[in-house]
Amino acid sequence: MEIKLRRYSSIYIVDISGEMDMYNAGDVKKVINVMIRKNIQYYIINLEYVGYIDSSGIGALIYIHSQLKKRNMVLRIVNVKGTVKKVIELTKITGYLQIAQSLEDGIAQIKELL
Amino acid sequence: MSDEKKIIVDEHNKLFDKRGMFHKRFVSDFRQIRYFTLLVVQKAPPEIKEINLLEQQISEIIKNAIKHGNHSDPKKHIDVWFSFSETHARLIVQDEGEGFEYLDQWNEFNRKRNECFKKKNFEEMAKYVSFITDKSDENDSGNALFAALEYWNGGIVFNNKKNAVALAKYFPKKRYGLEISVSS
Repeated sequence: MEIKLRRYSSIYIVDISGEMDMYNAGDVKKVINVMIRKNIQYYIINLEYVGYIDSSGIGALIYIHSQLKKRNMVLRIVNVKGTVKKVIELTKITGYLQIAQSLEDGIAQIKELL
Repeated sequence: MSDEKKIIVDEHNKLFDKRGMFHKRFVSDFRQIRYFTLLVVQKAPPEIKEINLLEQQISEIIKNAIKHGNHSDPKKHIDVWFSFSETHARLIVQDEGEGFEYLDQWNEFNRKRNECFKKKNFEEMAKYVSFITDKSDENDSGNALFAALEYWNGGIVFNNKKNAVALAKYFPKKRYGLEISVSS
């Protein structure tokens, strides 16, 4: 799994690629925790290139969602598809997590809040 | 229908019938869980779509046995029985642990969780996103069985000691109907 960061005005986009599983899901949490400490307000997690996720990966997304929500920070999870989408649906958290269809949609939704 | 789903205890259940199933025994090595899962899932026929999802669902059950059942004790093993066809996947995983003592609590937790889901009450659902007990550690996400109960549509059954679990998934039968349109 690889985690890359880029910025679009005040929105930070976290691009994850590869497999988000029990061996590395904690790394995503760590990255977000560092960003929280830097007081970043707007986050997009892009799952476009994640081909596999397990319950630990799902757990990381739930953890990030609740940490950000608690601090009134904003998160959109984008490009949820394939197996990743299936696992999120089976876990019944599609409505719980704030998911936007595409990166553009995620950015547009956050921009409305700016 | 879906909110009536429960994990049950019934060691005489037909899902525990091991006849015709492959068997493998693995050491309780957390680092090798995905590798062990691949050794199992490689028996699945190519007709099974979403093999990634099947792999993920099997790895969760193997992980529970190695981590929560055997506490990754290298002296303990897990036994895995499995069979696949284009219409089904069956799995039995047994560990050498004390058994899943919180099964009743889990079912109740899942029932409340499903109520929130049905009512789309996501504020309330925050309380039920992960099932954490005094035995959980910081790496436990506590959500694997929620998805498992949805995925394994043939049921999830424990033995009386609750250290063995049997699961079944049925895939919709492919229809080889005529899909050719004939133009005259």
